[in-house]
Amino acid sequence: MMSPADLARRAAPVFACIGLLAIWQIASLALKNDSFPTAIEAIRAIPDILGDKEALINILASLRRMAIGFGVAVLFSIPLGLLMGRSRAVAAFFNPLLMIIYPVPKAALMPIIMLWLGVGDITKTLVIFLGVSLPVIYHSFEGAKAVEEKMLWSGAAMGLSPLQRLVRIVLPAALPEILTGCRTGLVLALITMITSEMIARQSGAGNILFNALDMGQYDTVFAMIIIVGAMGICLDAAFERIRARLVRWSEPQFDLPLSFS
Amino acid sequence: MKVVPSRSSEWVRPVTPQKPASAIIEIDHVSQVFQTSSRRDHLALSDISLTIEERAFVSILGPSGCGKSTLLYIVGGFVSPTSGAAKMKGKAITGPGPDRGPVFQEFALFPWKTVFGNVMYGPRQQGVRTAEAEAQSLALIEMVGLKGYENFYPKELSGGMKQRVALARTLAYHPEVLLMDEPFGALDAHTRTRLQNDLLNIWERDRKTVLFVTHSVDEAVFLSDKVVMMSKSPGRIRQVIDIDLPRPRRRSELLLDARYQEYVVDIERMFDESDEAGSPP
Ligand SMILES: Nc1ncnc2c1ncn2[C@@H]1O[C@H](COP(=O)(O)OP(=O)(O)O)[C@@H](O)[C@H]1O
Ligand SMILES: [Mg+2]
Repeated sequence: MMSPADLARRAAPVFACIGLLAIWQIASLALKNDSFPTAIEAIRAIPDILGDKEALINILASLRRMAIGFGVAVLFSIPLGLLMGRSRAVAAFFNPLLMIIYPVPKAALMPIIMLWLGVGDITKTLVIFLGVSLPVIYHSFEGAKAVEEKMLWSGAAMGLSPLQRLVRIVLPAALPEILTGCRTGLVLALITMITSEMIARQSGAGNILFNALDMGQYDTVFAMIIIVGAMGICLDAAFERIRARLVRWSEPQFDLPLSFS
Repeated sequence: MKVVPSRSSEWVRPVTPQKPASAIIEIDHVSQVFQTSSRRDHLALSDISLTIEERAFVSILGPSGCGKSTLLYIVGGFVSPTSGAAKMKGKAITGPGPDRGPVFQEFALFPWKTVFGNVMYGPRQQGVRTAEAEAQSLALIEMVGLKGYENFYPKELSGGMKQRVALARTLAYHPEVLLMDEPFGALDAHTRTRLQNDLLNIWERDRKTVLFVTHSVDEAVFLSDKVVMMSKSPGRIRQVIDIDLPRPRRRSELLLDARYQEYVVDIERMFDESDEAGSPP
């Protein structure tokens, strides 16, 4: 049984999407601009893209690079962030390096990386890796720093070695914060994925998008934007489910849905 | 006939025959200096020497900031003293170990583990067989009065219940010495009284050595065989008082006991005097 409040909560995102599409449709009809197709035209182009084998291969190639870039970044960044959070020496060494990399748009590094590694998968995956790493390192660092010292002492008294404490106390204790970083990282992975394909055309979802733009196929351009947006929403929702499951113990209330009433 | 108790039944052993007292912890001319960020060096502990006998319940009593926690951390091996040394059974303490089990005012439970998971943590780490560890942990949870709460997360427990879990978690790996740092300091008066009674009941079963930090005079007198009075700036031992009251003790009975009242009043007077002596003109 769903209460009216529950129903409203579930339906709200759908209404938001419909509202957005309606505004788009009206704006496009009002502007009468060739490069601004109506929402309906864009949506009509979606099945054409998803039905095209070439396009699907491109999109899957994008997703593969994104998954690898994201996965490697997470596996690299969590241990680094945790070590930085627990050791002043490690933090003092890596902090300046990260401070230099932090404000640089990762895509701006692409031309240089392309000179070294070519325009292939490695370059694009590396850029995704760079984009994901920083938020994950930062949140892992903050999470590890905040771990209560007495908790580590309790572990030490039980006989846990420093490495065991890092893996079996610092990691789980910092997990809520780490996963917040991973969630940001996931969205950044999608963004850097598209930007990297804009700079190094060859394959991928970004390639379809920008080729269509060059050829003036604006309905395809906007259809791709919708597809990329939908991918983002789905990935984020899937990640959020996993996250909520992993850190249920840290949520203030169990099984109490958010309510605005 | 001599029966060697198995590990699992160690803590349920009824009353232990009284052995002649022997030193388990020796604190030998320990001083601790802290670098304060703004001011110069701060002498938190000054030349502390103290011997704690096996199976004794010893309280360290003193005003806030006199170095009680620091002294306990040194015995725990969490802090190494600037000078002097602490020894456990004749061996220098160089770090934490399962022979000394801490219980902190802040509980310091593992929030991602259930009550059961927290209590199981130590035995698992020590490689106790799963079935045995489980049986022991369940029995300990029952002993601290939390039967039925095994699958609760710390977030779902009150302060008093959290401290019961923390005590069970520490008892689960059979430390020879319990190091308790104002364990009931964060609890309301009613809960505190109940936990004091329960702690004594649990302690009566196997009479582990307990080093108990508190700033409450009546808590120290009620629980202890010996009260170590400390004074502030620098942290020093003022006096060590033997509390000669019969056991088992119950708080409701003890409050009416003239000797108990005398101990409390005497100790409070001594602190008053030192406060007057120590205050600037
Ligand atoms: N890590 C530390 N760094 C600097 N000063 C400290 C540190 N730990 C304790 N102190 C100082 O040492 C003194 C004793 O502290 P503590 O042992 O916590 O006292 P108590 O437990 O009796 O309240 C206090 O003045 C405190 O500010
Ligand atoms: Mg203290």
